[in-house]
Amino acid sequence: MLTLHQAGLTTTPSIAPLDGTIRPGELLAIVGPNGAGKSTLLSMLSGFRRAEQGELRLDGKPLNEWPIAELANRRALVAQQELPGFDWQTDELLSLGSNPAKSLVAALLDDLDLTHLAKRSVLSLSGGERQRVMIARGACQLLSRGSPTAKDGGLLLLDEPTSALDIGQQQRLMRQLRAWAEQHRIAIVCVLHDLNLASTYADRVWLLHQGERIDHGLPNQVLNPQIIADIYGAELQHIEGRRHGKPLLALMP
Amino acid sequence: MIAILNAYRFRARLPINRAVRVLVGLTAALLLALGWSAASGALGISPWGLLSGQADPLSVQVWWQLRLPRLLLGVAVGAMLAGSGAAMQGLFRNPLADPTLLGLASGAGLFVAVWIVLFQDSGAGSLYGQFAAGFLGALCVCLIVFGIAKRQGGGSAAVMTLLLAGLAINTLAGAGGGVLAFIASDEQLRQLSLWGMGTLTNALWRTTALALVLIAIALWLLMRSARELDLLQLGESTAHAAGLDAARLKRRVVVATSLGVGLCVALTGVIGFLGLLVPHCLRLWLGPGHRLLLPASMLGGALLLVVADTLARTVAAPAEIPVGLLTSLLGGPYFLYLLMRRNRAC
Repeated sequence: MLTLHQAGLTTTPSIAPLDGTIRPGELLAIVGPNGAGKSTLLSMLSGFRRAEQGELRLDGKPLNEWPIAELANRRALVAQQELPGFDWQTDELLSLGSNPAKSLVAALLDDLDLTHLAKRSVLSLSGGERQRVMIARGACQLLSRGSPTAKDGGLLLLDEPTSALDIGQQQRLMRQLRAWAEQHRIAIVCVLHDLNLASTYADRVWLLHQGERIDHGLPNQVLNPQIIADIYGAELQHIEGRRHGKPLLALMP
Repeated sequence: MIAILNAYRFRARLPINRAVRVLVGLTAALLLALGWSAASGALGISPWGLLSGQADPLSVQVWWQLRLPRLLLGVAVGAMLAGSGAAMQGLFRNPLADPTLLGLASGAGLFVAVWIVLFQDSGAGSLYGQFAAGFLGALCVCLIVFGIAKRQGGGSAAVMTLLLAGLAINTLAGAGGGVLAFIASDEQLRQLSLWGMGTLTNALWRTTALALVLIAIALWLLMRSARELDLLQLGESTAHAAGLDAARLKRRVVVATSLGVGLCVALTGVIGFLGLLVPHCLRLWLGPGHRLLLPASMLGGALLLVVADTLARTVAAPAEIPVGLLTSLLGGPYFLYLLMRRNRAC
């Protein structure tokens, strides 16, 4: 469990101080327009950028007091698309940073529809395939640690995990993230651009604008068409999802 | 050698059989090359003769005092250059990186040239002085480069800065070398140019023994960084989240490399392209994982340098070709070939 107490960054790109709790088993979406500070906030949550105000605590212990190697057992980060150095084989890349059992690697490859690519070199994959490999690696890092506590499976931070995926793979990934969160009690934080994905799959949403969290709560509260249209500068129409009751936003022509 | 194998065995979870096969194979090849090299030279000395005590005293003297330290120095320098090449390539996540790229080799070279031209006397201390000068030169470059990089903070900008700082230092060292050549006496000029071409002729026990110890320490530091170098390939922020202290890794690799390479340059001059050629070829064969690539590169570098040095001192015997010329003749065209072929990323 990660808790924030007036945590913020003062140097640009800055983040206004915020409070919050990210609980095991939930999927939190961070949304907001370009340059709102989503990736910066994620970087702060991961501890890569240290909070300059306030404090973050992971499992009750201040984030910057965790030894870096132990912290790696408790939280993983999948940054925005970055080419790995050199030409790794997919299943080798999955094992970087942890010492996973073969069965775990196989299960994760299967979860993300990558089994047929296990022996391919990563640089020969398509953008979407590579993105799924990097997400599987992040999950592998969390799930391969020695003795997972039943109550709290750690924290998985994903920066725009669906940016290179087609809609079928987007659905598959988001469902898989939900499944991981529930089965392994992992807290998952996703930076998302697609508000409808956030609405459909997230438990809670943080809405960021100009480095400040201007709203947070349940998706159907936060993703208010009026406010969204305002801060994104977009003309939208609101569609009530008929079968699942989740609000959807569509662009006006 | 055994230490390298052991260090590998304890952390392996990779296809261990293959790794052991590769390392044992390379070790065997290196031992064969050493046997061949020990027996050949201007004075043919059979190893059996040495072992059974039938060789004449002069041969025994030559073998113990000249050839053995030279063999050991070849192994150490080859392993150091190729190992630090592999580590640098991992650190910069770029297969074209090399210790010469950071300016380490040329910085050490400049200091040694300064020593030869301005301070050297003919006394017994001259070799130690050269030694210390190279050491100091690499250390200075190391401190300058890191001072610059530190101001830039972390991230990929810092890596770019490191490369540019290396470029500036290479240029500066080249100019400094030119000035020194201009003011040097004829005798010094000849010494400078012979040393500059790279040769293992200076192998004497008193310097080699110390070099062996220091290079072994540097190699050990690099071996300890293998797993972290693997992690770094994920990119800096992801690697940090996966448990990597990138600043510590950089510090350790650059210090180990600069000390080892500074030493090598002081003793043998600049032996080019070994650090580029060996890791690159081995990576094509073995894949990018540093736990296998680093020890394999060290063995491969030692093998290549021992073979090249044996050729260098036998092809035109009793005259001797500087071994640096041979490696550059081999490595230069390969480097050009790489650049021409390299259209795709990495």
